[in-house]
Amino acid sequence: MDILGIMKIGASALKAQTIRLNVISSNLANIETTRTPEGGAYRKKSVVFTSKETGFAEELANSTRIRAKGVRVERIATDPGEGKKVYDPSHPDADAGGYVEKPNISLVEEMTDMMKAKGSYDANITTIKTAQRMAMKALEIGR
Amino acid sequence: MPVKGIFDPTIRVLDKVLGLRTQKLEAISANIANAETPGYSRIRVDFETALHDAVNGAGGGQARTHPGHLSGTAGLENFQAIVNREKDLSGIGDRNSVNREQEMVELSENQIRFDAAVRMLSKKFGMLKFVIQEKG
Repeated sequence: MDILGIMKIGASALKAQTIRLNVISSNLANIETTRTPEGGAYRKKSVVFTSKETGFAEELANSTRIRAKGVRVERIATDPGEGKKVYDPSHPDADAGGYVEKPNISLVEEMTDMMKAKGSYDANITTIKTAQRMAMKALEIGR
Repeated sequence: MPVKGIFDPTIRVLDKVLGLRTQKLEAISANIANAETPGYSRIRVDFETALHDAVNGAGGGQARTHPGHLSGTAGLENFQAIVNREKDLSGIGDRNSVNREQEMVELSENQIRFDAAVRMLSKKFGMLKFVIQEKG
């Protein structure tokens, strides 16, 4: 594989981490949302990462050695867990007993996830920069 | 006197090293990209010891039993890195065996060694250039 292919692996991870950050900010924005088009309170969303699939022909050509792959977001999963119920009879979304279901989002969890996403993003920026530096260095041979 | 290969074994070894270092970079960047993919086993590319043995004709290399046989470095053309996957054996978490810190260390080490090989190759070519230049 050439250096550009290596940079593509890094780029796939940057894309995946951006989607993750998108989902986190959606969760944080909706931390108090009690009404959604699907009905009920907003549910926490999270990304599912999977190793990027390569095409069959590509796989066949490289069958002699272990193939390095990038990453992609397979799907965005919804956490089915119940949210916290808060007693607030005056709330428009309160049930017959006066309880309102809040989204099942933990602020601390989301902030931690955000820091991890940033860490991964930075690490992948470093690999791309390293690949670039190595390619530029190789151009200096014989100069 | 026929010129029996302008490019000496050192150049061939360095050339091979650049390819192997690129392959290692590919594995490291895939590992870092998949640092949070559940069930991912890190790819490990190993060639330092094997390459050393191949160059010196020790270990796995065959001994020269006849002067007509090719020397140890001839095996370089077909030299391949040992690539395998390291499974996560801790039994906890999401079965991902990537340690991002370890990968970052390997990344910078790999880069430094790549640069060293490039520099040595440049010096070798510089020497060749020097000897073939016309006296002005």
